[in-house]
Amino acid sequence: MTMVRPRHHNHELPTIQDTWDYKAKAYTPKSQIPLRRRRQLLIRLALIGLISTAFLMLIFPSLRTPILSILSLGLLSGSEDSQLETVRYYDLSNVQGTARGWEREERILLCAPLRDASPHLPMFFSHLRNLTYPHNLIDLAFLVGDSKDNTISLLTQLLNELQAHPDPKQRFGELSIMEKDFGQKVKQDVESRHGFAAQAGRRKSMAQARNWLLSAALRPSHSWVYWRDVDVETAPSTILEDLMRHNKDVIVPNVWRPLPDWLGGEQPYDLNSWQESETALALADTLDEDAVIVEGYAEYATWRPHLAYLRDPFGDPDMEMELDGVGGVSILAKAKVFRAGVHFPAFSFEKHAETEGFGKMAKRMKFSVVGLPHYTIWHLYEPSVDDLKHMEEMEKEKKDNEAKKKLEQEKIDKIKSQFDNPAQEWDKEKQVLADLAKAGGKAGKEPQKPVVKPEAAVPKKEEAQVLAAKKQAEANKQPTVQKLA
Amino acid sequence: MALFRRANPATFILAILLIAGFGYFLFSNPDAPSQSSLRGLHKAAANALSPPSLPFRKASPPNGANVAAAAPPVVHYYLNNLTTTTDPVTNRETVLILTPLARFYQGYWDNLAALSYPHDLISLGFVIPKGRDGNAANSALQEQIQKVQQGPHKKRFASITVLRQDIENPLQSQSEHERHKLENQKERRAAMAKARNSLLFTTMGPTTSWVLWLDSDIVESPHSLIQDLAAHDKPIITANCYQRYFDKDKNAMSTRAYDYNNWVDSPTAQELAKKMGPDDVLFEGYGSMATYRSLMAYMVGKDGNMDPNREVELDGVGGTALLVKAEVHRDGAMFPPFSFYHLIETEGFAKMARRLGWKSYGLPNYFVYHFNE
Repeated sequence: MTMVRPRHHNHELPTIQDTWDYKAKAYTPKSQIPLRRRRQLLIRLALIGLISTAFLMLIFPSLRTPILSILSLGLLSGSEDSQLETVRYYDLSNVQGTARGWEREERILLCAPLRDASPHLPMFFSHLRNLTYPHNLIDLAFLVGDSKDNTISLLTQLLNELQAHPDPKQRFGELSIMEKDFGQKVKQDVESRHGFAAQAGRRKSMAQARNWLLSAALRPSHSWVYWRDVDVETAPSTILEDLMRHNKDVIVPNVWRPLPDWLGGEQPYDLNSWQESETALALADTLDEDAVIVEGYAEYATWRPHLAYLRDPFGDPDMEMELDGVGGVSILAKAKVFRAGVHFPAFSFEKHAETEGFGKMAKRMKFSVVGLPHYTIWHLYEPSVDDLKHMEEMEKEKKDNEAKKKLEQEKIDKIKSQFDNPAQEWDKEKQVLADLAKAGGKAGKEPQKPVVKPEAAVPKKEEAQVLAAKKQAEANKQPTVQKLA
Repeated sequence: MALFRRANPATFILAILLIAGFGYFLFSNPDAPSQSSLRGLHKAAANALSPPSLPFRKASPPNGANVAAAAPPVVHYYLNNLTTTTDPVTNRETVLILTPLARFYQGYWDNLAALSYPHDLISLGFVIPKGRDGNAANSALQEQIQKVQQGPHKKRFASITVLRQDIENPLQSQSEHERHKLENQKERRAAMAKARNSLLFTTMGPTTSWVLWLDSDIVESPHSLIQDLAAHDKPIITANCYQRYFDKDKNAMSTRAYDYNNWVDSPTAQELAKKMGPDDVLFEGYGSMATYRSLMAYMVGKDGNMDPNREVELDGVGGTALLVKAEVHRDGAMFPPFSFYHLIETEGFAKMARRLGWKSYGLPNYFVYHFNE
């Protein structure tokens, strides 16, 4: 200190400098003792503080978090906080659903309940890829239940492939797979032996699956919900926009299915889309509280106008028809319908369940429910048990016919081969006879007897041929008779 | 100091080792990482597109194109593994607390924040009507949410969803007197039912085990409300809603019955319902429609039984403090905004649940308290 300071100041203030120096020298040694003492005190205090904090942290583990966060200057918790978001805010008036949702970036939740569906998944995913609605606005939700095949693994694989698409525009939004088994209630029921009675139970468990899927997948950001069966074979890729344009609360297309030629080429598939009739309402009043009217069965003749039967292949695809019950193959509904509480009743709601009950409930809450009779999508043709039986029979008949023909042919061949030798012999003998006749006309008919005798038991060639022809005719006739029967 | 000087170097090393070990135990094993792994990073959704019942990871610092390129992942939810047991805390079952919020009461929030159920297992959902009152309630709520979610980890809730209602509230005035007029009831209850349904179906995620309906004017409840109600293992269970007031006759604070929607049906009420039109609704607690139903509000201490665990089977329930197993709602039991068996909203909910095979119960001697205006 003394060496440095004079260099700066000694020219101007040499005398004052000395006095300053003296004072500092005299002062510092005095103050150093208390300083040392104070330092020791501070170290002791810090040690006591540290030990007591450590002790407190040991006793009360809950204190560790705040103390540590203070010690780490908020660096640790800060980084975690900035990564995690826990609060979400939504204004539901922004997600009402409009006719041109793709322009307003309205999100759609696409729901598909699955069960042993792996054979149909590749087809379903090709439909998904072809959808023209912006894919990033579509959230996919699947509920897989009581599946015994590889539905889940195949679904996961296909979804991963979908999201790995090089073009980000082809990727979808939130993808969820819900796994939930409801147990095969239907099969255990005694009533399931009877096809019609089983319907009510089947519809109820189907409704349950749909409700579980929706309640777990619907978000406050959704404007629309689209329900689609995976076994739709043909549908326009613009179906979402086509249905949306009508700006209805609930809307369904017409659903038909192609058929093999022997069954008429095509057929209405979804008979659950209908308008209410007086007959059906009167019928409903007579039924028990838990009864469920299921359309498409002879047990309940309701005389309701069905969407399916109103189809005209050349009709205006934009034509609308008011409905009361809807089918579940392809339903586009505004999310606000589900938010209001409309769901798929898994109990008898106004004598209906599942999608038909859904239509009824939507109507009850004053939502618009319409169908498009001339806008058709095509359900996959899967031969029914009866069809399969019939086809089996047809196949069997065909094979039987062939087998019979073959058998007949063999018989004829056999007979022919059996008769060949005698015929040749006959010819030979004829020849001999002719020779004989030529040789000795005098001998007359006398030698004929011994020659003919051995052949007497065998039917003549002409007779055998007639018999064969008869059998052939019979064989040909048989199938036509069966068919008529 | 003399002690250190005399000490053997080996002892010195041992001491250092001990301190290091002690420090390691303290600093490497605090709750923070394990808590955040349960509440946070591991359980959190990877994408903003995720169930509202889960927190989610924010997109990494906005790098424009990079963020957009991250496609949402395929997420599996195992609904088979969801349980609703009598010991929900041990089984780490998640609870969704839902509140239609017309007005914000600090008492409500303080009571909610004081619930002893682990907060990292609780998700909150609010639906707030449009309009001036709604805006005020919203800003008051947001303020409290900010405080809690940035406060100590233990107090933070797993996730919070706030919805603004899409439908205009049919009744402008929400004063207690106006709300309870009979002619206004159907419209009001229908709007309330729709609010409840929109809240329920958008916030219930695939991980939710329980749903607790807690009205915004419940300002006092036992802190162990969720555990206490869940312990009964009932699909639908409600506490008895009372109100504290100043009794002028006794010149002291007293309590009185508040929620009349918890009841056991009566033949009189069924006869009344039979005569009604299909859209008419039978309300409880109005002199003009005497139903002679047995009200849970008046079952307190019946037959000298003050056991808070006493259960009563109910036909109609209120929504003031109602614990419902999520599977009841998932099956489709909602709050009918229309006349369902001449019942509406929460009372209709009990009926719909009954139609789906779920029974409702009430605890007449277990109380929550309503705000007194």
